Amino acid sequence: MILDIYKDALEYSAKDWKTLVILGVVALFSFLLLPAFLITGYNYRVINNAVHGIINGRDPLPEFNDIIDMFVDGVKVVIVQIVYLIIPVIIFFIFAFVAGNLTGFASAVIMLIGCLLTLVVGIASCLMCQMGLCHMAYHEGAFSKAFEFKEIKEVIDEIGWFECIATYIGLIIITVVISFVVTALIGLIFTMFGISGAVLGANPGGIFVFGAMVNSLITMFIVGPYLSIFNARSIGLLYTMQI
Amino acid sequence: MASITDCVSEGLKYPFNDIKKLLCFGAIFAILNLMSTAISVKNLDIFRAVTREINQSNATALSLKFTQLPVNDIYLVIALGIVSFIITLFVMGYQYDIVKFSIEKKEDLPGFGDILKLFVNGIKILIVTVAYNIIPALVLIIGTLLIGDSSVFPVIAVISAILFIIAFFLQIMAVNNMVANDSLKKAFDFGEITDKIANLGWGKYIGIVLFTIIIFMIVNVAAGFILSFLTALFARAFNQAIVVSAFIGILEGLFITSYTSVFYNRVCGSIYREAIK
Repeated sequence: MILDIYKDALEYSAKDWKTLVILGVVALFSFLLLPAFLITGYNYRVINNAVHGIINGRDPLPEFNDIIDMFVDGVKVVIVQIVYLIIPVIIFFIFAFVAGNLTGFASAVIMLIGCLLTLVVGIASCLMCQMGLCHMAYHEGAFSKAFEFKEIKEVIDEIGWFECIATYIGLIIITVVISFVVTALIGLIFTMFGISGAVLGANPGGIFVFGAMVNSLITMFIVGPYLSIFNARSIGLLYTMQI
Repeated sequence: MASITDCVSEGLKYPFNDIKKLLCFGAIFAILNLMSTAISVKNLDIFRAVTREINQSNATALSLKFTQLPVNDIYLVIALGIVSFIITLFVMGYQYDIVKFSIEKKEDLPGFGDILKLFVNGIKILIVTVAYNIIPALVLIIGTLLIGDSSVFPVIAVISAILFIIAFFLQIMAVNNMVANDSLKKAFDFGEITDKIANLGWGKYIGIVLFTIIIFMIVNVAAGFILSFLTALFARAFNQAIVVSAFIGILEGLFITSYTSVFYNRVCGSIYREAIK
């Protein structure tokens, strides 16, 4: 089941390289703040497509149109994420405050417990947050549905906590592996260019700089958008796994 | 049943329906910005003169005579202040029209034909704004005067802040109610106002207003980024602080303040439209 999700999501994200490049350009301008919300809005559309579909390998990528709607959706997504992530941050700060007022052994123990608790709550709230977004998308973007903890918990119960967390960890691993492999491959190619250039008597420094540039461009324009669509699609499909 | 998102994204799209009128509205804001730049420049001159007088004549700021002040500058500042107040009334009148068009669900932007009516409507909105904010302001001022700077002051500040927030939320619906019924009395009909909010649901009402404000702030902050880049660019080109700040003020008023203002009032109107359903 999990492997099917990954397979579908990997194929789905590679469907249209034009969208990837557009997303990359938007990401390039995200220091202007508004485009950053466009990216989250686009991911929300991907989730929206996924929760209303099934694994069939025929869903098209969402269009990159109607920018204002996309922006509003993006702001909604960011608000939901902030609300969910505030919980572990508050827990961490409470423990840090308590530990700061103690000394010696007690302080260390409290801090350790605090860190562990933050980790557990953090993972849970990340999962709840993603599922909350899916739940919101499934109910036509109603804001209150993102915070219906009971319903979201039921959804996760139906899918199974273990499956959810396993899918999540798998996502992280795939993301890291893909970005690492791509970077390493391009680095390797340019290293070979550089070495053969140096053998022929050219200065390899320029080739290395060029390689680093190509590397960051490809990461920004192709790999980054690809992975973000992949993640959104996988989470959306995971949501449809409830019986 | 339109959801919160639909209202807000409709409001964001609405100003693009008639860009010419939006720019006319923006021109008013640009003039206002220029005036406030002029006022602050003149204020700076006045402060400078006052400081010089105090340094030379060993007087305190309160014991200075009127003739010792830069009289012409003061008259100019007062005149500019009055003119910009009148222009602000026009702006408020235009906002009244936007709310009205929103409630009537018209797609185009209101025009500037009837200037007298704009003026009267602006005064109406001003009265409502003052009336709603006078209680928290009085609490703040009287509390400060009575207590001074003791440890109770934060409590007073918090109370008045809460009152300000409550007044803000009620005021939106009050203005809507006034515009929809076209009478000033309806702005203070608390029973009807709270009924309408309850009809929409308090949670939803507060949520939609907060969401609108968040979007409003995001647009403003993003525009601020772009403007600060432009400022840095222009500061390279002309080495004149006043020229640069005037230019940025014009740009801001023309495109950004007008847009956000139209957007905000449009959403306020559509909240009312949702509430009377």
